[in-house]
Amino acid sequence: MASDLSDIGVDLQSRMPFLDDRGRARRMIHKIRVTPMAVFWTLIAFILVIPILLFLSVAFSPRLMSQGHQWFTLASFKPVFSGEYGLALLHSLILGVVAAVGAMTIALSMAWLVLRTNTPARILWNTTIFALFLAPSYLIALGWQRLFEERGVLEIMGFYVEPIRNLLYGPVGICLVLMVKGIPFAYLVIANAMRGLGEEFEQAVRVHGGSRFEAFKVMASLLMPSLFSAMAIVFAEAISDFGVANTLSSVGHFSVATYQLYQGINSIPVNFPVSAATSLTLLTLVILAILAQNRALRGRSFRTLSGRTRPATQTKLTFFGKFTTSTYIALLLIIALGIPVFGAVSASMLQGLGGLHSHYSINFGNYSRVLHSRFLRNPLIYSTEMSLITATLAVGLAAIASKVLSSARNSRSKRFVDFFLLAAVALPGIVFAIGYIFTYNLKFINDLGLHIYGTSFLLALAYTANALPSTSRSLVGNMGQIQESMMDAARVHGSGAAKAWVDVTMPLIARPLLIAWLLTFSGTLLELPVSELLYPPGSPPVAVGIELSLAGFDFGGGTAIEVLSILWALVVVGIAFFLFNRFAPPGWKRLGNLR
Amino acid sequence: MKNKKSDNAYRVEIRGASKSYGMLKALNNFDLTIEPGTFTVLLGPSGSGKSTLIRSIAGIERLDSGQITFGDRVVADNGFHMAPEKRDLAMVFQDYALWPHMTAFENVAYALKRRNLDAKEANSRINEALERVGLSAKGPNYPFQLSGGEQQRVALARAIVGRPSLLLFDEPLSNLDADLRERLRVEIATLTREIGATACYITHDQSEAFALADQIGVLRAGELQQIAAPEEIYRQPANRFVAAFTGISGSFLGTVIESHHHEVKVQLGNQKLECRTPTKLKAGDSVEVLIRPSATSLSHHHSNSLPAVVLDVAYRGRGYEHVVECEFGVISSVFAHESTPRGSRVEIYIDPHNCLAFPSEKRAGESVEIPELSHSK
Repeated sequence: MASDLSDIGVDLQSRMPFLDDRGRARRMIHKIRVTPMAVFWTLIAFILVIPILLFLSVAFSPRLMSQGHQWFTLASFKPVFSGEYGLALLHSLILGVVAAVGAMTIALSMAWLVLRTNTPARILWNTTIFALFLAPSYLIALGWQRLFEERGVLEIMGFYVEPIRNLLYGPVGICLVLMVKGIPFAYLVIANAMRGLGEEFEQAVRVHGGSRFEAFKVMASLLMPSLFSAMAIVFAEAISDFGVANTLSSVGHFSVATYQLYQGINSIPVNFPVSAATSLTLLTLVILAILAQNRALRGRSFRTLSGRTRPATQTKLTFFGKFTTSTYIALLLIIALGIPVFGAVSASMLQGLGGLHSHYSINFGNYSRVLHSRFLRNPLIYSTEMSLITATLAVGLAAIASKVLSSARNSRSKRFVDFFLLAAVALPGIVFAIGYIFTYNLKFINDLGLHIYGTSFLLALAYTANALPSTSRSLVGNMGQIQESMMDAARVHGSGAAKAWVDVTMPLIARPLLIAWLLTFSGTLLELPVSELLYPPGSPPVAVGIELSLAGFDFGGGTAIEVLSILWALVVVGIAFFLFNRFAPPGWKRLGNLR
Repeated sequence: MKNKKSDNAYRVEIRGASKSYGMLKALNNFDLTIEPGTFTVLLGPSGSGKSTLIRSIAGIERLDSGQITFGDRVVADNGFHMAPEKRDLAMVFQDYALWPHMTAFENVAYALKRRNLDAKEANSRINEALERVGLSAKGPNYPFQLSGGEQQRVALARAIVGRPSLLLFDEPLSNLDADLRERLRVEIATLTREIGATACYITHDQSEAFALADQIGVLRAGELQQIAAPEEIYRQPANRFVAAFTGISGSFLGTVIESHHHEVKVQLGNQKLECRTPTKLKAGDSVEVLIRPSATSLSHHHSNSLPAVVLDVAYRGRGYEHVVECEFGVISSVFAHESTPRGSRVEIYIDPHNCLAFPSEKRAGESVEIPELSHSK
């Protein structure tokens, strides 16, 4: 056929000789131009990859970071698998698995109840989810602690709580808090995937003779990527959690890996190589979780969201169904939020808690102190500013990262981002912060003129890097549901890549983006480990403010800051949702809503 | 249907286009010319490279090598790749690719933004486009409130509203039922020719290709097998693949006993059959005889006919299509105005002009492979 074509074709090169030179010039320009993706990769390198790699390299090469004499050794790993470290690692592993399975199961049931049924208690759930996100694990644990500790709120009220206290300061209590903290992560991933799942799949099963249970199984299969993602996130969050390690674990002497890490860093002399080796071991555990996830999915990806997706309809529950499901939700609320909130609020209103005297009174004196004392109030203002910057930056980067991760092609960049983002989830915040201290105190960084250690700028970068992995993960499911042809259609009909993204992708994931932004904002507002190690002198963030108050036995002042911070975060969440519901175009709000 | 060539319709030239996905070569040094204002259909089975080709023309895919020009404008040239939004084209996608957060009106309006028209003119063009596809009342509806056919009509309105220089169609009818497919096919044919744009349409359905095209290109494994007017493709297929993929109702193996230019006589068992051949054949050559549906009829002629038994008969409105079995195999789509009952013995007349012989490495009695067709013409 080629001969036929040569008869009707033309020799373009001979007609347009300039094409060759022009093509070459364009190719050169193309090679040197700064693309948005190049900026993205540079940022990822500086805020995520380099600090992590430099710190982890200490595990193999203590001399590289002036932490020993050997250029290469595996000696740092020996203590990790024996004695206290080994036991702590085993505890973390078991706790992580139990928390992941538990949180995923609860989240799946809640997603179905809230999105697919008319159970009355569902209206409470979205608020609960955000409250759970707002409250870092150390605050949940502190709430329980204030209630059940010796001379705590309940003992002051005359209750006998020693058996519960013994459970709380052990694996049961730690696992409970980790699971509670994991539920919102798992719920958002699963609920977002379920929102994109139209009713046609369910109907197809029913009309082909499948029972309600069969339909549920098919839906579960379609949700499988998000279920595995949910478990991977909760597992990673659980084994890298520092808040519980710093509270229940340390008080109850039930060692977990992150607490061992913290002890390693705080011991004299500081044992960075062993901490790095422990971090690497934690990373390996997460990588194993990813491999298990990939193996279970075998590369399957279900693209279920398109222009043809029809929203699902609600299942109408009977009176008994409504009663049972509402009781279930209420019970969850009490355990997850009610008890810690009651602990924190009662402690914040109790004058004299933490002191040695036996006279107690209930009033709002602690709140008044917080609002009138610059020492107690300024951390909240500073953390709000930092959280606004961090949330915006992290969500922007996470949107790009999740786009790379959800790409149908298994490219090298996808595998790279996937690896580093999940690896970073596994890295405890405190280790991450140490990585920053190392990196941004290095001579060559200072020689480059980057004197950013001890500044708000570095703190914002660290917050962003810390938030990026989980924020990206939470967006991947939604991004993966968007059919690529919709972006292609925008491009061929005249929009550049950025405009097509703003016009097409952003509206389709507007709600998840908003949620991701709010989660990052809230998470940063109360973040503890990075804040503690990297806050600029004289500008403590909220978590440091709370810690300082508690360390000074001002339990009332500390818990009052805690309660006010959570209320403030809830107000921001409320305002954001109000603005979204009031001003977002109808099409943006339609996605994910019931018919 | 007469083409109304638009002044800005592109002449599309593709030279030496290659594209691989790992080890798989989707396009292999591919050449194609599409004249301005014409309707070209690229026909091929799955994996033939037609989707890669149309996506490369759109700019959604980057070629590994080769060049694409629109008129005097180079849009792809080895390392150089012009972004899709700068190519001034429109595309109708197989899965419609409507944006679910926009109404039908907004979906259509989006494609007009690049024209920078004032609001009045833009609204008038959008309404006109929706009216032309019969959806003037559905503008405020979201995609999920529309049927599949209506969704694809919105996609069609979106493609034509900007009066692009090039219209691309990526199997736009494959998700629709037969009746809707036929109606939308007519709409695509008329609307495209009305706006006078150059059109490139890909499909695996040969009946769709013949109905729409000014010229048809048949693809196989990333290479162009033949490009020509539909009539030429049908009457003078370049090779066995093109003939088989563009509609046959049966094929048999035989041996040439006489050859005269492009006319041959083939021995099939005890029967002799006159055929045409696009290649040179000589007596004694093994051949595969491909019979076009239009070549067959139930007849009492005794020349160039084969005895057969009716296996099945299907009413087609204007008459009956029979499936018959003869000594050498099955022949389908044998048309007659009257029905002949199943099991009847009949004579099948084979028109030598629509019966094609191609060289075969197989000998009579061996089985032959026929590409899977969605329709027989």
